Amino acid sequence: MEFPLLSLITFIPLAGALAVLCLPKDSRRAIEAAALAASAVSFALSVWLYFAFDRSTAAMQFVERHAWIAADAVKVDYYLGVDGLSAPLVILTTLMSLIALIASLGIKERFKEYCFWFLILEVGMLGVFESLDFFLFYVFWEITLVPMYFLIGIWGGPQKEYAAIKFFLYTLAGSVFMLLGILALYFKADPHTFDMLALMKIHGTLSFRFQVLAFLAFYFGFAIKVPAFPFHTWLPLAHVEAPTAISVILAAVLLKMGVYGILRVNYCMLPLGFEWFLPILVLIAVINIVYGALCAMAQNDMKKMVAYSSINHMGYCLLAIAGVSATGFSGAAFQMINHGIITGALFLLVGVVYDRAHTRDIGAFGGLAAKVPVFAGLMSLSCFASLGLPGMAGFISEFLCFLGAFPRWKIYTAVSVLGVIITAAFFLRMIEKVFLGPLNKRWADLPDMNTRELVSVVPLAILMVALGIWPKWALDMMNTTMVSLAGLFK
Amino acid sequence: MTLAHYIALGAVLFVIGIFGALTRRSVIGILMSIELMFNAANINLAAFNRYLHPEGVAGQAFALFIMTVAAAEVVVGLALVLAIYRNWDKTYMENINLLKG
Amino acid sequence: MMIENVWLVPLLPLAASLVILFGGREREDSPMPFVGIAAMAASLYISLAVIFDAATGAAALPFEKEWLWYSFAANLGGQPSIFEMRAGVLIDGAAAVMLGVVCLVSLLVQIYSLGYMHGDRKFKRYFAYISFFTASMLGLVVSNNLIVVFACWELVGVSSYLLIGFWFEKEAPPYAAKKAFITTKLGDLGFFLALLLIFTYAGSYNLVRLKETVEMGYLPPMVLTLIGLGLLCGAAGKSAQAPLFIWLPDAMEGPTPVSALIHAATMVAAGIYLVARCYFFFLASPIAMETVAWAGLITAFLAGSMALVPYDIKRVLAFSTVSQLGFMMCALGVGGYTAGLFHLTTHAFFKALLFLGAGSVIHAVHTNDMRSMGGLSKRMPWTFLTMTVGCLALAGIPPFAGFFSKDQILEKVFEHSPVMFAVLVFTACLTAFYTFRMLFLTFWGDGRDHHRVDHAEESGAVMTVPLMILAALSLVSGWALEHGHAFASFVGSGGAAGHAAEAAGHAAAAGHAINPMVLAAGVTAGACFFIALAYSLYAGRDFSRAQRLKSLFQPVFDLLEKRYGFDAFFLGLVDLADRIAVLCRWVDIEVIDKVFVDGWGLLCRVAAEISHLFDALFVDQAVDGCGYVSRDIAGRGLRSLIARGQVQEYMLYLAVGVSLFAILK
Repeated sequence: MEFPLLSLITFIPLAGALAVLCLPKDSRRAIEAAALAASAVSFALSVWLYFAFDRSTAAMQFVERHAWIAADAVKVDYYLGVDGLSAPLVILTTLMSLIALIASLGIKERFKEYCFWFLILEVGMLGVFESLDFFLFYVFWEITLVPMYFLIGIWGGPQKEYAAIKFFLYTLAGSVFMLLGILALYFKADPHTFDMLALMKIHGTLSFRFQVLAFLAFYFGFAIKVPAFPFHTWLPLAHVEAPTAISVILAAVLLKMGVYGILRVNYCMLPLGFEWFLPILVLIAVINIVYGALCAMAQNDMKKMVAYSSINHMGYCLLAIAGVSATGFSGAAFQMINHGIITGALFLLVGVVYDRAHTRDIGAFGGLAAKVPVFAGLMSLSCFASLGLPGMAGFISEFLCFLGAFPRWKIYTAVSVLGVIITAAFFLRMIEKVFLGPLNKRWADLPDMNTRELVSVVPLAILMVALGIWPKWALDMMNTTMVSLAGLFK
Repeated sequence: MTLAHYIALGAVLFVIGIFGALTRRSVIGILMSIELMFNAANINLAAFNRYLHPEGVAGQAFALFIMTVAAAEVVVGLALVLAIYRNWDKTYMENINLLKG
Repeated sequence: MMIENVWLVPLLPLAASLVILFGGREREDSPMPFVGIAAMAASLYISLAVIFDAATGAAALPFEKEWLWYSFAANLGGQPSIFEMRAGVLIDGAAAVMLGVVCLVSLLVQIYSLGYMHGDRKFKRYFAYISFFTASMLGLVVSNNLIVVFACWELVGVSSYLLIGFWFEKEAPPYAAKKAFITTKLGDLGFFLALLLIFTYAGSYNLVRLKETVEMGYLPPMVLTLIGLGLLCGAAGKSAQAPLFIWLPDAMEGPTPVSALIHAATMVAAGIYLVARCYFFFLASPIAMETVAWAGLITAFLAGSMALVPYDIKRVLAFSTVSQLGFMMCALGVGGYTAGLFHLTTHAFFKALLFLGAGSVIHAVHTNDMRSMGGLSKRMPWTFLTMTVGCLALAGIPPFAGFFSKDQILEKVFEHSPVMFAVLVFTACLTAFYTFRMLFLTFWGDGRDHHRVDHAEESGAVMTVPLMILAALSLVSGWALEHGHAFASFVGSGGAAGHAAEAAGHAAAAGHAINPMVLAAGVTAGACFFIALAYSLYAGRDFSRAQRLKSLFQPVFDLLEKRYGFDAFFLGLVDLADRIAVLCRWVDIEVIDKVFVDGWGLLCRVAAEISHLFDALFVDQAVDGCGYVSRDIAGRGLRSLIARGQVQEYMLYLAVGVSLFAILK
């Protein structure tokens, strides 16, 4: 038997969660150590995955397949594997989980439960990207939901219960439709199967009507996660109410599950439905980009602004997917990684200022750059990365997104380029109001970032510059897969 | 003597037992009638054993079990009677209607 | 061979900027600036060596060298495959000249800044930014890949943002910085779209390959025009062409040496250089060419007229830069490739000189307002002398540098269209007027604000020596480069796109040319007349005559002071965007969230209430009804009849029941 790398990556956090559960509530050190160790080992293994990954093939790698439920009526496999689309996301997930866990070491109350739920969440997220069996996929998909509900609902802000329940119900509504889609595909396949790779090959036998309906069912499930207009309103609320580290995870990983699903399921399994939906998809993408950016521009709350900018950035992914080209898919995949890193850093930084000032109102600050230069520098760096400054990671991916969509949707792409300048406008305005100008006397003794915060943010800052200057590191992993994805229906 | 004789004897004893159990006023009397019914059953068991399966001893063994159970039952029954008598000072059945719904 | 190492030119200042930024502590006498200066000097050495090699023919131009940067999946020719993005250097004549100019000006500015910024709290950071700024510009100049050009282009924007807003503790600089960034970014949208078009239709970003593709005629004319307009849009943002010039006057909020750098070598030169670098696109599209020419012309005139009214010494210079950039753009638009680049080169020298001189003045009197100056010639002789050279060069008086380059442009424009020529000549005269208005207001007559002027002192050698070097260059560069068409043949070497076209244009327009001698004499005479006019208006103790003139043409002055309303227009645009944004937020919260999402929730709640009511009224009542019937109606009667608590009765029922079973069997 081969070394079960993916299983280890996925389930070591689970072991960590169980270990945390067994530890006494008062021994905080031990809990911290166990949680961090589990997350770190998982991350270390995913680094190994990065180096061991074969960049020359588009096939699934590190495959593990065992019969799980082997009844006569239903056959479900424990079936894991990654390709160039999912492997970078797995690495992103373990990285961001570790970072977010470090960032949440400052949590004071009910720390044990927090760690437990957090690690369970990590298991779910990793599983979603790795599973190749629809049943397993659905199980992991739902596993992410419950920890998130508790993490927002217990450790969140003033409106946490409302935000948590809204998030939970909204996403659950989506996943119910997704389940319908899964079952529809299962029963259409002959022989009935949950095997995602096998289901990708049956689209020739599916009628147009069936594909459209199944597409809509899946799309509804994924679009809520993305979030695509008009299913996006849970996001700002959840982000604002969630604790910092959870906002990071929400933006960096959970949103990616939606885009990943659209690429993996909607595009690969239902090409006719996809083709039918394209004109609507591109419109939604443009709305996401322009409207999301405009909404962000009108916000006074920093966290809300970053949340809406996520909507804008996810719009780039959707636009790129709508381009149905290898370039577009590369752009979308790369944009997912970059958005995870950049927006993760932005949420961490907003958390830093909120921890000190207990407000996120942009207008309440002023002139902080003189007072907290390190924080100002990192925040400006992240803002510039987010607005797609060349030399930073966001530029290459945004550019690939536009480049991928342009040949097919010239006017739409031209309109959505407007989003770039609006993004620039609101980030610069934020920088100006918060960091520049005369120092607001209220913050005369604001301390700069401490070690824990630096440890969580600096790696991300380094990554966003590194990937901007040398995107090869990420793109080489994806290229072969993207070429084969784009050539799927030629 | 045929099987029918024993069965007839058993039946007569059983009917007497039932009659007694239904009509006696005293609890002691009822207990005694119940013993009669047990013995009717014992006779039947022994007779069936003797006539239908003469090679086995299951019927006789069961008769022995029933005697034991009957003894135990009488012990419990008499203890109940004593408890009732001590608490309420009565042994006549018509005066006891604890089970009334 | 130095040209092999030309890739070091942008990387050295970049490394220097990182070293300065992260190394050492912020101190007033930090030695870090010398790292930047050393790196710059090394870059300058390489650049000059490259120019020398190229001029002597030791190195063949164009020189190209590239490396694999990254690869991505792309659909080329309809077939998905892996596209290799290569980046590297491409040195042609224009690039070599630009390298020299940028390195030289940046080096002088850095040396000058040692004096100007001395004692600033963020002394070290300033030099880090300057090095980064120069590195971005140099990267833009050398790169052979349009994506890298765009990347450096944006980095130039960011570093200008950092430098314009350098004194961010004040109110105005951050605003000006943001304005500069957003305005140029607006232009960059056009550039961005052009890039998308280029890759979609030509499938490459390599300048050499693109040139081949375009010249083979593979691209439809419509696309070429759009690409040209997009590139022009980007260039208009960076090079402050109408109507995107609004950021440049505000950019004066930065430290003065930065203004010199922005106006002379980096940033604004980038737009002109981009048009020159992508000249083959424009040559292929007459519409784009014509648009470039008109954009330049309009800018030159508008900015030239706006420079007539401000009293802020740096604003005058800023508008003059915009106007001169208009000249260059116009030259490029009418096919004057070398003329445009020539003016770019000479202008870099004398505009850097003028800004650094103005900085020296500001450093001495601590104000930008020329109304509080006057009579400074006695107190600051070196500054005065060098600035006079700069002014003469800018006004186009022979034999100063500006004369030669401007003359070439005018010649070119005349061949193209006499109307444009007339406007440009008039603008050139205006140039002479406002330049000398500035000079007279600052240095002539007696001090108007004795408090300031009497305490003014000549700046130290670290500031005046760069001025002198630049003054010398402003004096000789025009003549030296024009001599024997040295510049033209150098820039044209290696078959630069523009040069070949120019030669063709010459042949066609032979019958339509103006006599160079007549032109030179006429323009010089006009300039001298306007200088005299400026003298009569502004050289005296007060400028009552100017005031009278102003009251006579009040509406015109108002219009000029309001900058033709462009600022108001763009601010209105921003305001409009803000309103739309607020509307979007309202829609998002009140409509989409409240109606669409919470509406579903409400609908579910209503449905839930209804089903709850149904449940309570019908389902539950039915269950209770069953219980009621069994307990209260049937139960009570039966119970009283048979369950009297008599064990013997129960036994009787049992016996009867068993007997019945036995009988019925």
